[in-house]
Amino acid sequence: MKRTTLAGIALAVTAGLGLTGCAGAAGPAEPQAAEGKTRLTVSVWNYEGTPEFKALFDGYEAAHPDVDIEPVDILADDYPQKVTTMLAGGDTTDVLTMKNVIDYSRYASNGQLQEINSVVDTVGKDNLAGLDAFNLDGKYFAAPYRQDFWLLYYNKDLLKAAGVDEPKDLTWEKYSELAKKLTSTADGKKVYGTYHHIWRSVVQAIAAAQNDGDQVSGDYGFFQDQYTTALDLQKAGATLDFGTAKSQKTSYRTMFESGQAAMMPMGTWYIAGILQAKKDGKTNVNWGLAPLPQKDANGKVTTFGSPTAFAVNKNAAHSDEAKKFIEWAAGEEGAKAISKIGVVPALKNDAVTAEYFKLDGLPTDELSKKAFTPDETALEMPVSDKSAATDKILNQEHDLIMVGERSVADGIAEMGKRVKDEVLK
Amino acid sequence: MTNMAEDLKAPDLTGGVPLRGGAISPEDRRHTTHRRSTRERKKRTTNVIIYGALVVLVVALMMPFIWMVSSSLKENNQVLTVPIQWIPSEFVWSNYTDIWTRIPMMGYLQNSLYLAVIITCLQVLTGSLAAYGFSKVRFPGRDVLFLCYIGTIAVPWQAYMVPQYIMMQQLGLTNSFNALILLQAFGAFGVFLMRQYYMTIPDELCEAARIDGLSEYGIWARVILPLSKPALASLALLTFVNTWNDYMGPFIYLTSNRLWTVQLGLRSFVGQFDAEYAMIMTGSVISVIPILFIFLLGQRYFIQGIATSGMKG
Amino acid sequence: MTTETITQAPGPARTTPHSRGNRKQARRNTLIGWTFILPNFLGFLAFTLIPVLAAFALSFMEWTSFAAPKWVGLANFQRMFASDSFWVALRNTVVYALGHVPLTMALALVLAMLLNRKLKGIGFFRVAIFFPYITSLVAVAVVWNMLFSPDSGPINQFLHAVGIAEAPGWTSSSDWALPAVIITSVWRDMGYYMVLYLAGLQAIPAELYEAAEVDGASAWQRFWNVTIPSLRPTTFFVVVMLTVSSFKVFDLIVVMTNGGPGRSTTVLSQLIYQEGIGEGKFGYSSAISLVLFLIVLTVTVLQFKIQQRRER
Repeated sequence: MKRTTLAGIALAVTAGLGLTGCAGAAGPAEPQAAEGKTRLTVSVWNYEGTPEFKALFDGYEAAHPDVDIEPVDILADDYPQKVTTMLAGGDTTDVLTMKNVIDYSRYASNGQLQEINSVVDTVGKDNLAGLDAFNLDGKYFAAPYRQDFWLLYYNKDLLKAAGVDEPKDLTWEKYSELAKKLTSTADGKKVYGTYHHIWRSVVQAIAAAQNDGDQVSGDYGFFQDQYTTALDLQKAGATLDFGTAKSQKTSYRTMFESGQAAMMPMGTWYIAGILQAKKDGKTNVNWGLAPLPQKDANGKVTTFGSPTAFAVNKNAAHSDEAKKFIEWAAGEEGAKAISKIGVVPALKNDAVTAEYFKLDGLPTDELSKKAFTPDETALEMPVSDKSAATDKILNQEHDLIMVGERSVADGIAEMGKRVKDEVLK
Repeated sequence: MTNMAEDLKAPDLTGGVPLRGGAISPEDRRHTTHRRSTRERKKRTTNVIIYGALVVLVVALMMPFIWMVSSSLKENNQVLTVPIQWIPSEFVWSNYTDIWTRIPMMGYLQNSLYLAVIITCLQVLTGSLAAYGFSKVRFPGRDVLFLCYIGTIAVPWQAYMVPQYIMMQQLGLTNSFNALILLQAFGAFGVFLMRQYYMTIPDELCEAARIDGLSEYGIWARVILPLSKPALASLALLTFVNTWNDYMGPFIYLTSNRLWTVQLGLRSFVGQFDAEYAMIMTGSVISVIPILFIFLLGQRYFIQGIATSGMKG
Repeated sequence: MTTETITQAPGPARTTPHSRGNRKQARRNTLIGWTFILPNFLGFLAFTLIPVLAAFALSFMEWTSFAAPKWVGLANFQRMFASDSFWVALRNTVVYALGHVPLTMALALVLAMLLNRKLKGIGFFRVAIFFPYITSLVAVAVVWNMLFSPDSGPINQFLHAVGIAEAPGWTSSSDWALPAVIITSVWRDMGYYMVLYLAGLQAIPAELYEAAEVDGASAWQRFWNVTIPSLRPTTFFVVVMLTVSSFKVFDLIVVMTNGGPGRSTTVLSQLIYQEGIGEGKFGYSSAISLVLFLIVLTVTVLQFKIQQRRER
């Protein structure tokens, strides 16, 4: 028995070790910088599925033959968690991509990023949309290279069928009416007038942007109207019920691409996604863009946006190279590189915008173009060391209001109370 | 341990293994225990009832799996429709061919298999050794030590993953399989499981073996191990499944794409704003197959116990 | 805390020369014992025990991972006990454990007994019952959320059919989200513990049943007087593992409700993750885990004591 046992163990272990040879066949071999080249590491999420990174890295390597960029690929789902862990362990990745401003404020206030005012100055403070978000007492620890903002997507065919030309100059009131009008049931298939995704920003960030509200203030009266509108639409059946959307993990892309929703407020990142889906033949939705509905009918368009930025790790192995890369990526060259694949760059000037509208498949009507140039783009969430904790509370209370467990007034009161108790105190 | 090894060998050898295990043995048992002829009929009706209950149960239990398979045959934007669509309007078989080129699935499977096999072997080996120490050898401090083991099981990994990561970083082990092997192969779970099982083995067996002049190591290898096949099989199975399905561990420790496991590979279909659910489900279906295989091979050891319990010495 | 009786194998009292305790023998035993334990212990010490102790030490400090940790005494604990979120999460965790542990244990045992027989195709059924545990969590969450859907879900349609007019809102209701999660987790875990019980049942010598049958014991009596006592070590293991895993529950809740609606399904390990890895307050999150650990330890020690009393 003993012999067989030992033989068994031996066999199992060799079977395991035997696999070592092939284990590691999953991807290209560990990239080594060629002789004399600097190997710059950049943290990214979902490298395969986020073409902007490849566009930037290829472009930079072509312009700087002495640099090899190695993406540190992290899954999008838990990107901030992994970056936090890596930084705690003293990781030396050179460039860190800031997925959102909330994470940025945390890393920056913990002293994990290098100040890069010089980079920001070189690119030009006035040209970078969303730069304000990265200003911490006059210091910049990251520079945005892409700036997404929100607008209204609509299904041209569905609107035409209902006898509406285009959703022009919408106020929230008119938008509600339109959404209800567009709601129908044909052949047992329900078409919703609009689709509001479950994110709290759909209500709260819009309300903050159009009412000049401050989401870390602890006073949330300015959410009132927007919640009333959202709940009214839901009650009328003009948008998918929040509880259903949340529990079934409804994909906003499916809602829009399969024609189940006639309109949808969403961010500009979806442009690249919808272009790709049409190119792959996965949808034939005839889509257009319109400015986000407004509070007042004064013709001024206010929306909110969320920038994505590059920062230099405090422990970076190649700080100077990292800064140079950011300067390039946030600048005109980088902006053009990502425009080509439908990503909206942070840098705004005529050359870049012209480049963007050369994109194949982009709707070229006047309204779509107008949607692309909002008058004012507020920040999705103010940046401070309180942002993360406030965000969590606002999310939780948003849920309760949207599933109808709290009245709007109670929910808003509770948000204020909790933020004051748990965060601001 | 033996079981694991035999499982691995089994398919190569004959392919006739299942014959030995399941189907024929009921006959054998009936021969050995003769006196129940009056019960035969009653037993048969009970069996019918049991089958009925099991079939209902199985359908209920398999529901999410059925959804998984059905989703894997859809387009991404058809997966999460409301209300749910159980049968795809159009079968997209191409998911099953595309996945191998979309991501290096084969490599991911190999990586997962490598990790799962090594960790399972080490866990079963060191776990059963330590369990023998904790259950059949008496020495001072043993019980306190054992409580330490159980104690750490009670701490959620989220609590100490950062200190652990810092240690690994310092040892230069991050971004390697070794980190995960070291973390998971010496878990307290295996020790606890094996110890509880060894408690059911009468000490007289060990005593008898001692009198026969076997060393403690001999007793472990020749008496205890053969008697604990069901426990070894279950520990191996559970460890394998846990390692195979683990997401957080590999996520934190494996950065290079070429080291990724199946679970990480599948999550790479989740982008920043949206997820390719059809592909995720295709991959999930594929990733379940090795576990099924292991289970089917291993489960015959669960029913072997009765036969071995007659073993004397 | 631990006494000899706990760790003694169920069996006749030992009167072997082995345990008579002369010092040389004792030293030899210590040596032998450690050689058995050492291979596992080294790995365990270095990669689990030390990090765990480090985390506990952190609970008395403030540390944001970049600067050196700063000793703050009990400040983290004061903050925790004053925090509403902590109490909500603690309550949810306890409710979850109270639902999850007994239900899973009972069902796993029933299933194991049902499947511990020689029938054609029994292997298939065993696999099928283990299936939920190996099915992708995302699929589990999607399908169960669909089943629980308040308006069109099969569960509520059934409830309507049997005359319950006010069917619960399940995952979109604060009151019912936790029960919904418990049901799903019982469904998912019972196959896992069934495997453990199956192994335990196999360890019961057939002679015991035969002897009981000769004595004229009914099936019920055999269950109470043979099966249950013989399964005690397995049951102990299952109860401890279940308790511990209930208090640590994380994945399922994250994919199913992510703690919502509101905070109605937020549990302690989620709070630890959010505060620590999410917000970088490692000291505070360690303090929560220390409290969680103490709770679980207390429960486990109680279980130890109960097992010990039974064994007498």
